[in-house]
Amino acid sequence: MIWQPLQPSLKSRGASAAIEGLLYLLVTVLVAIVEYYVAGPMTDFGPSNWWIAFVIMAAWTGWQWAGAQTPVGSYVDHYIADRNGLPACFSCIAVRQLTRFGVLYGIPFLLLDRNVTVMVLLFVLSGVAIHFTPNGRAPWDLVAGTVMTESLAGETAPVLPLLTAASDLRVSPQRVSENRRARRMMQLAGMSSVLVSALIVWSIFSEAWQFVAASEFHWGLLRDIGWFPRRNKFDLSTLIVGTLWITGIAILVAGPVGIGVAIYLSEYAKPKIRNIVKPGIETLASIPSVVLGFFAIAFISPSILEPGGSLIGVEFGIFSLVSAGIAVGILTVPIVASIAEDAMRAVPNELREASYGLGSRKVSTAMRVVFPAALSGISAAFIVGISRAIGETMVVFIAAGGSGGAIFEANPTEPGQTITAAMASLGAGTDSVAGSGIAFQSLYFLGALLFVITLLLNVFSDVIVRRFRQVY
Amino acid sequence: MAVTNMGSTPRAETESATQPTLDQLRKKPTADLGGQIFLGLLLIAVGTAFAMVGTVLVSVVSDGFEVLSTQFWDFLSNPSSSDPAKAGVAQGIRGSLLIALVVVLVAFPLGIGAAIYLEEYAEQSKLTRLLEITVRNLAGVPSIVYGLLGLAVFVQALRGITGGSTVISAGLTLSALVLPIVIITASEALRAVPSSLRDAAYGLGATQWETIRTQVLPAALPGILTGAVLSIARALGEAAPLLVIGAAAFYSTGFQGFLDQMQGAFTALPMNVANFAKLPADKWAGHAAAASVVVMAVVFAINLAAIIARARISKRLSR
Repeated sequence: MIWQPLQPSLKSRGASAAIEGLLYLLVTVLVAIVEYYVAGPMTDFGPSNWWIAFVIMAAWTGWQWAGAQTPVGSYVDHYIADRNGLPACFSCIAVRQLTRFGVLYGIPFLLLDRNVTVMVLLFVLSGVAIHFTPNGRAPWDLVAGTVMTESLAGETAPVLPLLTAASDLRVSPQRVSENRRARRMMQLAGMSSVLVSALIVWSIFSEAWQFVAASEFHWGLLRDIGWFPRRNKFDLSTLIVGTLWITGIAILVAGPVGIGVAIYLSEYAKPKIRNIVKPGIETLASIPSVVLGFFAIAFISPSILEPGGSLIGVEFGIFSLVSAGIAVGILTVPIVASIAEDAMRAVPNELREASYGLGSRKVSTAMRVVFPAALSGISAAFIVGISRAIGETMVVFIAAGGSGGAIFEANPTEPGQTITAAMASLGAGTDSVAGSGIAFQSLYFLGALLFVITLLLNVFSDVIVRRFRQVY
Repeated sequence: MAVTNMGSTPRAETESATQPTLDQLRKKPTADLGGQIFLGLLLIAVGTAFAMVGTVLVSVVSDGFEVLSTQFWDFLSNPSSSDPAKAGVAQGIRGSLLIALVVVLVAFPLGIGAAIYLEEYAEQSKLTRLLEITVRNLAGVPSIVYGLLGLAVFVQALRGITGGSTVISAGLTLSALVLPIVIITASEALRAVPSSLRDAAYGLGATQWETIRTQVLPAALPGILTGAVLSIARALGEAAPLLVIGAAAFYSTGFQGFLDQMQGAFTALPMNVANFAKLPADKWAGHAAAASVVVMAVVFAINLAAIIARARISKRLSR
């Protein structure tokens, strides 16, 4: 296929260059204004603003570069061509824009005492200069010897000769390479999740190994009177008992409520009511966990547990595993409810209709037909709920007490410590812990433990869903 | 007519003696007591869930009302302080803003790109399976584990680039945290785009990338945006990873330049809540509640914005 050479005879070229310069200046000033409000009175209106403006413009207009265009260019249908008259490649244009606005405009900007008026004048002048420079180049293009030119987008159209062979139907090489480039970039982005996983596994397990391999370490260290990492007391059972209590109480709260909500939403609620109830439950999911932690010590402990406990003769303090467990349960309700509801709604209507056709009541249909059919999904909901409850940190860190360490305590009405809360209290003093031997590595040891537990639970729930899913 | 009627009446009578009529088959409303009790239990469950939402909101707002009503602007514009009368959440707001900026710049392009790769390009291969499995499992990793990742990789190994415990490290850590969420929601949005759209574009001779850029992405945009915005809300509510990578409880600096801001000590809104909640309750409970109200207001506002934006964009696209 023949590609017509470009006609670099554009009259508005200079104007577009000037406008582009002004656009950058505008963004620079906007950045400075935002900076004023974010960071206070500025000490320096200068290079950092310029570079940030460039990054913002690049993020904003970078996708146009792939189409060989610049922001203003796209507006007036210009595009940038390379020495063969083909649309220039992404990186060519990135470099062109960078030199233009980072160096050619940025350096004068700094030299001219950051004077906005002078800069405006400069842009207008450069626009005029470009206007009178032949062959679609800018004056500095002549100096630097660059050959990229600017032209009307319409002129990129290929001149179609008579088709003589099947190969003439092929897509232009530029489009093919753009396609390949896009695919490669998306693949790289896709690899980011693998990279994150690999980094998690590597960082956690290498440091955890340091803990196990440390000279002070022996397995007997993991059985002691309590968890006081800075005093070399690493009693795992303290943390595991605390975690079990929190998880158990959370599931006791979230299980019935979550499943009840799920059955109601999928089997009973009319669409109108569903549209009210569902967002209400989802509101619960968007409450940050720190807020629930504060709620536990500000409301659950003093207003529910203390009066309730005194009725049955149990004394609760402000900090207790029960209080934290209830708050974690509240957080877990929407997770259990939404997964279980999805599972029940996935049961095909034919089953319900068959059940009604045999004369069964609504409750029998819900409990004897839909519930068993959705059982795999519902158990997955429980397992995911358990995994969330085990991994929940801030609620326990704030409301279960025992920050810094805890004596072994099997009674849930007392303060206690979980795996996550122990990690948080170790992490809260990160600076003092870092490098102070085995206590720091114990943070990673706990992290590895937590990672393995939740990973197993998630894999387990996946297996349940796959193996026991009824195929309709 | 009259004849057939007369003829059919005795037959109907004899049939009703052996087979129950429809009326007899129908249960009386009161008969289904078990069903009523069951529905009652379900309603109690729904009511409990709503009571939870209501109690959390009402108790937190009423606890924070005093601080918010007496020193609203001071609370929003003052830095943290050891004096309850002066302490505020300005540093937290600033930190959260900057963290959100980093998450937008890092997690959105990566997450959406990964979703495009998974849904549009990837063929069935071991690599694709690996990608899908890692994304699913990453979504289930507890947030504090991401804190360990941030501490080991961004704070310690990449100290030269991020500057240690800074907003950049925090933003990168939270980007890793929300990455699977962005990927999963964007994938769902892309999957919902009808394949006829793609076929039409291919039929006109578009390359795969042109098809994605001009047809698939615009059609999936509402879903992608909603997921992305919700992930920002999630990132703004997270405190556990920040705690581990060393967000400061207190730091005292006056106003800083933008670059200093990116490279200095930082805190975030949920960290403010946690710090206030950890202080003695008699003086600080009001502050913790007020900070909670601010966090929830931000998160709810973002969620609301996502819902509105979604409605608007899908309306514009359907026109």
